[in-house]
Amino acid sequence: FLPGIQVDPARLSYPFSTSSWVLGTASFLVSTKLKLKPWKNLPKIPKHCRWEFRSLPIRVARHLSKKPALAATMVSLPTTWLYQDRGLRITISPHRVRKPGLPSLFPSGVCAIRSRKQPRLLHRIRCENEDEDEGIEHVYVERPPYHSYFDSTSGQLEPASGARASIPGEDCWPEGTSDRVRAARAPAPAGAISAGSSSNGQNPGSRRRKHRASATGPRSSDAIIEVKDLGNVAAEETIVEEETAEEPRDESSEYVIYQMEPEVEEETGFALDKKLGRPHPFIDPKVKKPIEGTLPEEELWWNWKKPEEEQWSRWQRRKPDVETVFLKAMAENGEVKLYGETPSLTETALYRARKHLYKEERLRLEQEKLERIGPMAYYSEWVKAWQRDTSREAVEKHFQETGQDETMQLMEMFSYQTDREYRIMMGTDIRIKRDPLAMRLKEDQIKQIWGGDPVYPTINYKQDPNEIIDYRGPDFHEPTPNMVAYLKEHGKLISRHELEQTLAKEKTEQVELTDMDDAMARAVDIGENDVTFVKEEEETSDVEEEDEDSKLPRNWSVLKTAPELRKSKPKAKKEGAMNLDEAIDDSENLTDFLMDFEEE
Amino acid sequence: MASSVPFHHLACCFSVSQQEKECFQQQLWRTTRARYSSSRIRATQQAVKASSVEVPAFPLFQPSQLEEAASEQLEPADPDFYKIGYVRSMRAYGIEFKEGPDGFGVYASKDVQPLRRPRMIMEIPLELMLTVSKKHPWMFFPDIIPVGHPIFDIINSTNPETDWDLRLACLLLYSFDCKDNFWQLYGDFLPSKEECTNLLLATEDDLLELQDEDLASAMRKQQSRAFEFWEKNWHSGVPLKIKRLAREPERFFWALGIAQSRCINIQMRVGALVQDANMLVPYADMLNHSPEPNCFFHWRFKDRMLEVMINAGQEIRKGEEMTVNYMPQQKNNMFMERYGFSSPVNPWDEIQFSGNARIHLDSFLSIFNISGLADEYYHNDELSGSEGSFVDGAVLAAARTLPTWSDGDLPPVPSSERRAFKELQEECRQMLAKYPTTSEQDQKMLDSMSEPRRTLEAAIKYRLHRKLFIKKVIQALDMYQDRLLF
Repeated sequence: FLPGIQVDPARLSYPFSTSSWVLGTASFLVSTKLKLKPWKNLPKIPKHCRWEFRSLPIRVARHLSKKPALAATMVSLPTTWLYQDRGLRITISPHRVRKPGLPSLFPSGVCAIRSRKQPRLLHRIRCENEDEDEGIEHVYVERPPYHSYFDSTSGQLEPASGARASIPGEDCWPEGTSDRVRAARAPAPAGAISAGSSSNGQNPGSRRRKHRASATGPRSSDAIIEVKDLGNVAAEETIVEEETAEEPRDESSEYVIYQMEPEVEEETGFALDKKLGRPHPFIDPKVKKPIEGTLPEEELWWNWKKPEEEQWSRWQRRKPDVETVFLKAMAENGEVKLYGETPSLTETALYRARKHLYKEERLRLEQEKLERIGPMAYYSEWVKAWQRDTSREAVEKHFQETGQDETMQLMEMFSYQTDREYRIMMGTDIRIKRDPLAMRLKEDQIKQIWGGDPVYPTINYKQDPNEIIDYRGPDFHEPTPNMVAYLKEHGKLISRHELEQTLAKEKTEQVELTDMDDAMARAVDIGENDVTFVKEEEETSDVEEEDEDSKLPRNWSVLKTAPELRKSKPKAKKEGAMNLDEAIDDSENLTDFLMDFEEE
Repeated sequence: MASSVPFHHLACCFSVSQQEKECFQQQLWRTTRARYSSSRIRATQQAVKASSVEVPAFPLFQPSQLEEAASEQLEPADPDFYKIGYVRSMRAYGIEFKEGPDGFGVYASKDVQPLRRPRMIMEIPLELMLTVSKKHPWMFFPDIIPVGHPIFDIINSTNPETDWDLRLACLLLYSFDCKDNFWQLYGDFLPSKEECTNLLLATEDDLLELQDEDLASAMRKQQSRAFEFWEKNWHSGVPLKIKRLAREPERFFWALGIAQSRCINIQMRVGALVQDANMLVPYADMLNHSPEPNCFFHWRFKDRMLEVMINAGQEIRKGEEMTVNYMPQQKNNMFMERYGFSSPVNPWDEIQFSGNARIHLDSFLSIFNISGLADEYYHNDELSGSEGSFVDGAVLAAARTLPTWSDGDLPPVPSSERRAFKELQEECRQMLAKYPTTSEQDQKMLDSMSEPRRTLEAAIKYRLHRKLFIKKVIQALDMYQDRLLF
């Protein structure tokens, strides 16, 4: 396709290939029109030609004939409009608006069409009937030619649409259908319930006459006669009539019981509402039972207690975030003052908001300064070698003298900038400590934020600066939990001092425990209950053992397979002083080691 | 013979069995003969309904006058018999299963007008059958034998040419052991060991009672073959799932008898596979034999059903027995060997005459109003009018088996004809005299026995039927002599 030519006011575009054809047909039409007086006698144009015409630029003429004002404008259109692809769709030559030079512009072989008839304003190339010309062509869905027909299979008038025609006779059924119908119509076997029961292939012939007779022998003779009668009845009923299709006996079918009439249920209230989709309570009010032990809403407001939050997985721990650690470091540095030892979530949120606001404010100030003193003065801070005046007046003056505008002057100035100054300006000079606090973060704090890897963050590796943290929750005002303190508080961690004390005690007790039984001797305090440790002598060993059994350790599955691990391993931890080898020894396996490592 | 000696001892302890439909068949033949010949021979105690076997070849139908005499012996089968199949898509139309003293039969429960097309009376889905392909890749439809089951090795070890019955018996036994198999239910309606007439279960005494040494030796061979097969495959070392199929040889013999007497050989088409198979078809195997059957089998492949259809143009009266032809053109000894029944009016029975005396065939045929070609002799009732009730299957058999001559239009010479049939009669009498007992003695034996073993009964009946047949031939020759016009 060549680029389309916009001809029609409807802005249709036409392919080039049709245009030459159009040219020929158009001229033919016009010439014919001029010769033949009455329109009606036009030679019949084939349908597809008419269609082509309707959509092709011939339409221009038609359109123009209706709107003379527009015609004037269109005629004055530049000539390129008309001859864009060296083809002439049509030449509009109303008798008054004629440019003398126009015909000479035509390429050879292209004829201009002119009107000989003066009284008419415009040529009209007739493409459609006048009656249909109103723009809307009415298309009808084809109506069926008949509504009913005489069906040869049924011999009756049948509706041609809508209700189904009647089922044709058996002769016209497709293959196999009559077999199915016959099989379905076959009467179910009738007769009394059989006396015998299946022997499951163990005893062939067990239900034949001989055995049956012996089986029914002890019964009364009436019963036998009855069976016979029933059998005769059944025999009569099993006759399948061929001409008069026998109705299947459905009343005594033991196999399928059809529900002929749907049960009508009267539904009211909740069920009806639910069925009809009307607004209804979520639970059936008849079934609904009140939850026991609840307080009314008023009471609940004052008596609300934070739900006991049990941490049963280390994945439930709160994610250590940058803000908490920084805020705590700032508090230790004396920059801020916290209410407690560790920042609460509120304080953290506040800090985060403030940090953001301060940053915004600083940036805004810088921008204002830049606008106030101008870029030359602003950026000359980082160009020491630029000694000239950088005030606005000086810049203006320089412009008037040399014609260099501000950008050129900036570039001139930056050509004096050293590398070091450039790096400082861009903030990439590593020798400048930009945030002293961040640089002074202790290693444990860094680990809290980024994990132990010096290169790649093992935690918090996904840092979304626009993340909106939802701090709402029942522990909104609670400080961030500190695991070490928690463990210490619960006796999971003891200090070195305590450990030494314990060990010393054990040593002294070993002498006493020599005559105790094995279980007691081997029992090792893993330090979970310091308080009771003192009373341990009084406690019976049974209680101790029960205690140990009832507590499921983390590696219970390992202990199940290797019970000797259960008691022999002292879990006492040395505070802080464990080096790597000890820590590895301390943990049962590598996973535990890693997890502990992360923990402490 | 030598091989059967150890087997003989074993066979003595077997319980006797018989297959039931043969008994029926005997009755059937008896009654047809009785219809023809006004029952000169005293029928056995079971008077069975006359199932008027009407082939279009016998256009005039004689209303069966013996029907009422027989009907009280019949009673409808156990209602479960049809129910278990009905719930599994087996259908029976216009028939009912009845059980007489000798076993099951299928009877019309309504009149059927002659139709241009065969009319279906039963349809049995493939799922209920037991089938084994006749040729080598053994295929089972329905495939109830799991892969790797040792019963398949047993089946595979049989001779593909001859041992179809062994295969089918194995399959039958396996189906009895198969959980939820239809044959577990259907097997209760099969004849038990005591009821089977198949000579596989006969003792040596029974075989001697046959008074037919060829048949007896054939049966001994069959028995030893079955016993060897059982011994080979059911020895003490086989796994339990094989052993429990047939712990005693009798059970295997019984299964083999069932397989032999109830097997239907039909070419069936399953999908694109056309296959000759030996099939055990429930319900269809309750149809009894008739040399002039009114039903036949048809395999409907599109939904894999075996149809039992009434012959086209056959008129059926209510209460008539529906019959099929088990084996066309076979003598009594063949029926006896495979099915365990015989008939005095088997139209294909034979007598071996040694002399060269011949009678004129055309005269013989015309006297007895026998029409048709040699393979299709039938009694033309229209010609005989009302008087001819003498002609029955035995006369047809006589027309086939008597040495005859026929030379165009050449008429018989009276002297030579008389000499010929005298010689033939004499030979027949000599044959009768060779038997240790006469037919009257046999009949008396049968009547005197109460609750006889079925095989013994069948054996006695077999020799009785043979004698009756020879007697009938003598009578026919007499009548021929009387009526012959020169």
